[in-house]
Amino acid sequence: MALLTTRMKNWLEGTGAHIGTASTEGIPTVIVAAKASFDNSNTVVFDLSARQIDHIRKNVESNPQVALGPGGLGSIRAAYQFKGTGRIEGSRLKVAIEEIYSTKPGPEAGLRLDTLPFESVLRFEKTRWQDDGPPASV
Amino acid sequence: MKLPKTVKDALKIVGSGGAVVYLTTSSAAGKPNTVGERFVAVYGDEYILIAEMFAQKTRVNLNENPRAVITLAHPLKGRSWAFAGPTAIIQEGHAPDEEFEGARISGILAEWGDWAQKEPPSEVPPDIRPPVLVQRGVIIMKVESIYDFAPERAGLPVNF
Repeated sequence: MALLTTRMKNWLEGTGAHIGTASTEGIPTVIVAAKASFDNSNTVVFDLSARQIDHIRKNVESNPQVALGPGGLGSIRAAYQFKGTGRIEGSRLKVAIEEIYSTKPGPEAGLRLDTLPFESVLRFEKTRWQDDGPPASV
Repeated sequence: MKLPKTVKDALKIVGSGGAVVYLTTSSAAGKPNTVGERFVAVYGDEYILIAEMFAQKTRVNLNENPRAVITLAHPLKGRSWAFAGPTAIIQEGHAPDEEFEGARISGILAEWGDWAQKEPPSEVPPDIRPPVLVQRGVIIMKVESIYDFAPERAGLPVNF
């Protein structure tokens, strides 16, 4: 399990994510959720419509690998990608986060963050962004 | 498929009235990868281009599995569209007459090979604007289908 920072959680909760799943043959599909919440420190929860659930059910049940990119207004500052294992519970998709990557353009694109010491991740964030999540108006 | 004008107007950089997009690829074994992209454009009537600025996992995935999805992000303005089709990375070094799905690679690179010069990221806030942008090539998708990702229409074809 990967350890998310408060900033990461705030961005996911505030702006949701583009949620990528794929078939076992590697054909991807995407849904978009505008908000998220957390079940526990590592499991992000998306409340979805019945049609969204229909659209991803077969993928998630046969291949639970999920990728998340924070995608709402302002999230150019949320340059993260989260990967984990998804499961559908009723109208919710729950994703246990296992990998965290930087998507900051340039030399830090693709840098894996969850394998760094947590203090280093906090320092990484603090020295690159001044916010602690999306603006309240987003 | 031929892209309608509303789509062409949306698939531009934000500073020109377009939107940030997300590119989702997958490994051949089905591990997805979803990353945001600023440099986007339409080429001809059927292709979407994205600047390839050392998108490491995207390259690995596209080298083994050309299926990808591009989703519009902010500002959305009701444009909840997802584009799907065969996708590749092109860059200098291909044979002069090489094509991707009917598009001449040399012509694309001549026009879009130095994207930061053509469309500098002037709308990106200074504190997060990369000081130098190094482009390796161009990601190109030939759009075969468009579906909606609005919650109540997720996965349905878009009627333009």
